[in-house]
Amino acid sequence: MGKLPPSLKTGKNLGLPIRSLFKNVQQSPQESELESQPSSHHSHRKPKSITRKPNTSLTTATSHPSSPPPINFTSPDISAAKTLFNSLATTTRYSSLLNNRFCNAVLQSFSSVSSNIQDSIILLNHMTKIHPSFTPDKFSYHILLCQSCKKPDSDLANVNKTLNLMASKGFEPDKVTTDVAIRTLCSTGHEEHAIELIKKLSQVQFTKPDTYTYNFLVKGLIKTRTLSSVSVFINEMKEGFDVKPDLVTYTILIDNVCNGKNLREAMRLLDVLKEEGFKPDCYLYNTIMKGYCMLSHGGDVLRVYKKMIEEEIQPDLVTYNTLIYGLSKSGKVKEAIKFLNEMAKMGHFPDVVTYTSLMNGLCRDGNALGALELLGEMETKGCNPNECTYNTLLHGLCKGRHLDKGVELYGVMKEGDMKLESGSYGTFLRTLCRNGRVAEAYEVFDYAIESNSLTEVAAYTTLESTLKWLKKAKEQGLAV
Amino acid sequence: MLPQRMKKGIMDNPKKLATLIDLVNLPSTLREFVGQSQSSRLGCFRRVWSYIKDNNLQDPKNKNIVHCDEKLKSILLGKTQVELEELPMLIKLHFPKNQK
Repeated sequence: MGKLPPSLKTGKNLGLPIRSLFKNVQQSPQESELESQPSSHHSHRKPKSITRKPNTSLTTATSHPSSPPPINFTSPDISAAKTLFNSLATTTRYSSLLNNRFCNAVLQSFSSVSSNIQDSIILLNHMTKIHPSFTPDKFSYHILLCQSCKKPDSDLANVNKTLNLMASKGFEPDKVTTDVAIRTLCSTGHEEHAIELIKKLSQVQFTKPDTYTYNFLVKGLIKTRTLSSVSVFINEMKEGFDVKPDLVTYTILIDNVCNGKNLREAMRLLDVLKEEGFKPDCYLYNTIMKGYCMLSHGGDVLRVYKKMIEEEIQPDLVTYNTLIYGLSKSGKVKEAIKFLNEMAKMGHFPDVVTYTSLMNGLCRDGNALGALELLGEMETKGCNPNECTYNTLLHGLCKGRHLDKGVELYGVMKEGDMKLESGSYGTFLRTLCRNGRVAEAYEVFDYAIESNSLTEVAAYTTLESTLKWLKKAKEQGLAV
Repeated sequence: MLPQRMKKGIMDNPKKLATLIDLVNLPSTLREFVGQSQSSRLGCFRRVWSYIKDNNLQDPKNKNIVHCDEKLKSILLGKTQVELEELPMLIKLHFPKNQK
């Protein structure tokens, strides 16, 4: 059935032998829902970036059958690197194959281990001298730029030097250069430098960041800084350099405040972006819905959905999954089920997230057996459950006092090498102990550690406190 | 919601965590059993539990009950029979709070 987002495909559920016993389920709705959302966002809007990076295109070049052996430097020793290149260039068998791509790959490989940008420049010069048919291109300089951005000087001297070198060789830095530099700085944790550099580059029309670069930086900043300091940055860029935030920028900000459960700020931002003349789209509404879900405001999720329909925005699968998740979480599973039909009408088919959310809702509603039935329905429709589905069910069955079914389900999970989540692990242990099956609880404890579901400490503390609780319960005559 | 609360408890309380995973000098009885002079409470628990499994000391009819052999008896207050659920408590006795 439908296309699963890659984040959900991790399950080891495929081809479980015991299908007939229990039907299908997987992965916890919370995580899958929340993760799949931003990722689908980007796949829609950011198809780029990979193609731009020089290194990715280079690695493929080296694997070509007629190419010389790929070079992987392990030491930053420049003279050894020179010697190696000399030997390649003088081997007649290879010399004709030493094209620009290959030479760039050599440079890339060296720069990834080299600690000194000067060494890489020396190697580049050396290669052009020994092998004159190699003419360094923009990629070559981007490789050097990458290296200098990984370890920028406090005043960006080395980065500026590389940029100047590039320009002096006839390759004026452009938007791609900006993108390479900013991405490298951000992904190595040098956001402060990235801000400095982006401001400098924004002064020239030719190197002004595009929206992808800009949004990448904003996304990096919001992870480590307060919203207000990011707002200051956004303002500076707008007023000083005419680099304006777009709808994606606002979605990033709103996503962030929603994750921090600050919906009031989200609403304020929503007003701001409307004032700026943007029309909220499906992704933005999905993000807001997610925010309400995190606060367990199920009713508000429905309100957002209605607003979307009013504004004639096409909901997508994530919208429905979020909606169903939100309703299920706030105990309105009956309403959630109604949306199964509605989404089908719109051409979206329930996936593993939808089903798991519904099972979660049914379990909350005290209908764990109904959830188990849904597992069967799901499987007959060709939708494979994942770890989260099983964990949801295990939790639900234990809570709903269907321990035997739970134990059976646990057997299936064990067979499929599935991991236990800490929530369902705790519930399962407690239910086992309450029913006087301490020995089995000990075995579950072993499995949790063996399967790397939990750390030793987490697994043990749960076990220990469960037993402590059991002792108390026994004293009060509450347990077996 | 229990596990979340517990997870938090461990995070919030590094001292409690330390009593669980810090290596301490074992008392002589335990030292003999574990075969090491130092161990953490957690390591010790896992050692005892795997000893029980390896030697089939659980009662075949009621697995919650462990029949101690001589070696096990020596570290579990000399009891001939213990219940599995007491195990963490019994082991904790060897790890007094103020030991350093």
